[in-house]
Amino acid sequence: MDQSIAIQETLAKEENCIVAAQCEILLEDFSESRLLGLVECSKEHAIFIYSHRRMAITADDVSLEDIVPISLDFAVVEVSSAEQLVVVGADTRVRMSYKDEELELTLPFGSQSRLFLCEVNKAWSDVCRSPAQVPKFEWINKYKKAIKSQESVKQFIAPLEEFSNKVNQHQEMEKVSDKKGSLEKVKTSNSVTPKPKGNSSQENQSREERDDLVRSSSHTTSNKAQILAMPQFGLRDNLIKCELLKNEDLYTYLENFSFFLGTYNVNGQTPKESLRPWLSCTLKPPDIYCLGFQELDLSKEAFFFNDTPKELEWTKAVSDALHAEAQYALVKLVRLVGIMLIFYVKKEHAEFISDVETDYVGTGIMGRMGNKGAVAIRFRFHNSDICVVNSHLAAHVEEYERRNQDFKDICSRLQFRQLDPTQPPLTIMKHDVVLWIGDLNYRISDLDVDKVKDLITKNDFETLHSYDQLKRQIDEEAVFVGFEEGEIDFQPTYKYDTGSDKWDTSEKCRIPAWCDRILWKGKNIQQEHYQSHMAVRTSDHKPVSSLFIIGIKRVNSEAYKKTFEEIVRNIDKMENECIPSLSLSKREFHFKDVKYMQHQAEALSLFNDGQVPCQFEFIQKPNESTYSKPWLTANPSKGFIPQGGSMVIELEVFVNRSTAPDLNCGKQEIEDILVLHLERGKDYFISVTGNYLPSCFGTSIYSLCHMREPVQDMPIQTLLKLAEMSPDDDSSTAEKPLDIPKELWMMVDHLFRNAVNQEDLFQQPGLRTEFEEIRDCLDSGMPDSLPGSNHSVAEALLLFLDALPEPVIPFSFYQQCLECCSSGAQCEKIVSMLPQCHKNVFSYLAAFLRELLKNSASNGLDVSILVTIFASLLLKSPKKQDLAEKTKTQEFFQHFLN
Amino acid sequence: MAKQYDVLFRLLLLGDSGVGKTCMLRRFTEGEFDPSHISTIGVDFKMKTIEIDGLRVRVQIWDTAGQERYQTITKQYYRRAQGIIFVYDITDRASFQHIAKWAGDVDENAPDDVQTILVGNKADEECSRQVTKEQGQKLAETYGMEFFEASASTSSNISESFIRVTELVLQAQKRDVDNLLGSLDSYLDQVALQEEKSSQDNHTQRTCAC
Repeated sequence: MDQSIAIQETLAKEENCIVAAQCEILLEDFSESRLLGLVECSKEHAIFIYSHRRMAITADDVSLEDIVPISLDFAVVEVSSAEQLVVVGADTRVRMSYKDEELELTLPFGSQSRLFLCEVNKAWSDVCRSPAQVPKFEWINKYKKAIKSQESVKQFIAPLEEFSNKVNQHQEMEKVSDKKGSLEKVKTSNSVTPKPKGNSSQENQSREERDDLVRSSSHTTSNKAQILAMPQFGLRDNLIKCELLKNEDLYTYLENFSFFLGTYNVNGQTPKESLRPWLSCTLKPPDIYCLGFQELDLSKEAFFFNDTPKELEWTKAVSDALHAEAQYALVKLVRLVGIMLIFYVKKEHAEFISDVETDYVGTGIMGRMGNKGAVAIRFRFHNSDICVVNSHLAAHVEEYERRNQDFKDICSRLQFRQLDPTQPPLTIMKHDVVLWIGDLNYRISDLDVDKVKDLITKNDFETLHSYDQLKRQIDEEAVFVGFEEGEIDFQPTYKYDTGSDKWDTSEKCRIPAWCDRILWKGKNIQQEHYQSHMAVRTSDHKPVSSLFIIGIKRVNSEAYKKTFEEIVRNIDKMENECIPSLSLSKREFHFKDVKYMQHQAEALSLFNDGQVPCQFEFIQKPNESTYSKPWLTANPSKGFIPQGGSMVIELEVFVNRSTAPDLNCGKQEIEDILVLHLERGKDYFISVTGNYLPSCFGTSIYSLCHMREPVQDMPIQTLLKLAEMSPDDDSSTAEKPLDIPKELWMMVDHLFRNAVNQEDLFQQPGLRTEFEEIRDCLDSGMPDSLPGSNHSVAEALLLFLDALPEPVIPFSFYQQCLECCSSGAQCEKIVSMLPQCHKNVFSYLAAFLRELLKNSASNGLDVSILVTIFASLLLKSPKKQDLAEKTKTQEFFQHFLN
Repeated sequence: MAKQYDVLFRLLLLGDSGVGKTCMLRRFTEGEFDPSHISTIGVDFKMKTIEIDGLRVRVQIWDTAGQERYQTITKQYYRRAQGIIFVYDITDRASFQHIAKWAGDVDENAPDDVQTILVGNKADEECSRQVTKEQGQKLAETYGMEFFEASASTSSNISESFIRVTELVLQAQKRDVDNLLGSLDSYLDQVALQEEKSSQDNHTQRTCAC
């Protein structure tokens, strides 16, 4: 069966034909046989396509027609036809494409095709794995010239267009199967992926592939818990914070506190008089003092080094003048050159002040320096966030727009860092309460000085106020949007002759103005008074004060706890709901009457009934290297299902020659539990059971020789006992064993009686359905004689030999056979040393083949054909066989055919 | 605001199929009870946040298949548990007798310092009781476990059981930390002592050299 030798002979020394397979190539309306060889050279692979004469034995039998390099442009796709969808495990149809060339092939049922596709896929996977190393295929060029000289080549490598009708058919078929239901849909969609998949004849290959996936996968039961354990506390914290904020009303109540706000432009003076008239003007001691100063120090030192002795002098003057009936604590002081803000709190409230931060912004010379600008303090009082800004804006009557700009700059540039470094800094406007004080420098315009002074004398502040730039700018929403100011019921605070209550008598004779102001923004704020203090005469400004009653949010700790717990409960609930979840159509699968080399599949539908998309994968169980027993596969074994989506997984059972021996004797059963793992979620167990019908395929020669009944009629205990006995101690069995397995005799005898003159015996593949009948007949003893064509029986014989757990020449004799392959006598000596039943089988087969050769005139067989086919079945290497060994095994066997 | 959650623990519910593990978990995490029995075939889990001594603890509670045939697989999950709740059904004597087997499995597969408690579920079904409270108590004592009779149906003792095992885990963790700190202290003391000694040695050497 191995035709790679014929191909090998056509190749250069450094090239190696890994595997060969016979196929039918589909042309317009008919098909022709071709030989495919997978050829490797310096780790690059290509498929060589040969036309061939009969079974290819030597280089003369094959003629190269084309080469398909296995590169990234290469693809081999399983093509399902409508009828084959139903009969899973039939001959494999594949479409092979390279660039714009495409051809369709049918590979016959059997291990050789399987092996071929497996190797091709392996080679292709290698290319895909390292896309950086683009294969060059220089070694192919020499062949290409030869091919080009042949005209026949392009006859079957039709360009894509010619195949388009076939492709169309295929697509139509896909459409049809779409309607048929999801099961077929999955199959078809699989066939679009550029790997042969899902067909029994590629069982080994696809399993290997999946095993790789499992191995490379990091998600096994053992490390899953670790993944889950990774705490995502940060996210939860923020969620909780957010929810707490949203539900603040539930656990807070308002309590009024009095805030005393004062602003004073001291014109660089040192304190010369008590500030009590300004700071102790209220009946009751206020809860909080926030006092702003401007022009604290006009010296160059203060400007350039931001250092002034006046800070201390004025702070002391303030401390001395605070309301005498309460004790105050200085919480914070912030100063930028001459702009200073001091924050005092009544001692008993100090413990409820938190998160105190300061910042300042210079808007003076070059828009940056500190001669103008603002300082600010933010703090949390109970559960309210409060920000106090003291600003000194640009001077001069006509510069009101500049003042507007200063305000905007301050608002955008002034930022408080947050305790949690991951949070963005807070701006002024993000606070519940904003209190803005300072020398805002807005003047009275459009009115001459005499008129102003006249209105002041008349106490007509209302009229005068209508000429106030700040009022006008606020009305135009050009500045202080959202802020409020109380009614001004005091005469302008600027500009006086220092030390007096007289208006500016200097040359400039400035128009009086309400430069010093107090504004607020926020809810639950009541202004109790807004006034200036004429009695204070140190500066050319008068100080201004305002008393506010502000409703501060206090926390009810009982309600807070309740709210908090409710939020946590909800988040827990949300989190539990977001654990991926699936519903499974079935949790237990039973495969009835599983037979050797007979594919069975059942559909498992998964429906994502959770609230999140889910990633699933079948994972390994403890102490197992793959997610399932080797006879079981889940297809696909991993995937992704969107929320509300579903997917059909095919659970496939296929017993091949490597899994059959243990199942035949009952050492293993059709029993497995699959673990379907959801990433970040639960695991589902799916149990797979079944009954296996033992087969002579995959049962040892020794066991078969001890069975007088068909294998399926034997008690399983006997099968197990036989499997555990060694061929060397024949004495232990009372009954005399058969000379050779009766199954082998049935097949050989059938061929001997019917097929000695059969042309192409052992070269033409059999039919799958007939193989199944032959197998059943051998295993159950019914019917009495073998069904099927000669070719099918011949293939069954080959498969029987191929499936033997211990080859006819046992592994332990293999090396010896190689060593003495040149000497016929020695070869015969080795055979004489084989265990009795093996020796019988060997001699029997050799005799039969010699018999066939007698009729070579009619059946066309010759020694080299038979040697090629049978040597590799009778003499198997426990390891991978190389070419030289292959030749030696053939040499060995040849001695017995002459 | 400081972190609201300081610890995460994994708890595992073990016991025969049908004793009410899933019901207990649902009652504790969702406050719901559904008497229909749907076998857990696999491993499920739910999260819950509880407060112990002002500490917010998140527990991940794993609910396992109780059926015998899955036990070779579920054993795999024991390794990561810090707390285990053995559950039997007070109306099912066999489920009580099997606790010994479950405990044996835990001995083999779970970490040595795993904290365990015993819970007799379905305590509301007094008329079909097959295991007395005293028997439960006695078994718990044999294994050095604390014992609760609880009912997922009436919610009696459900939170208490889960919170108690979490407390035990928390205490065990604290012990570990204390031991670690303790050994660190003694290590530092030793180092200090050695340094002192060696400097003394140097000193004496020097005097000798003079």
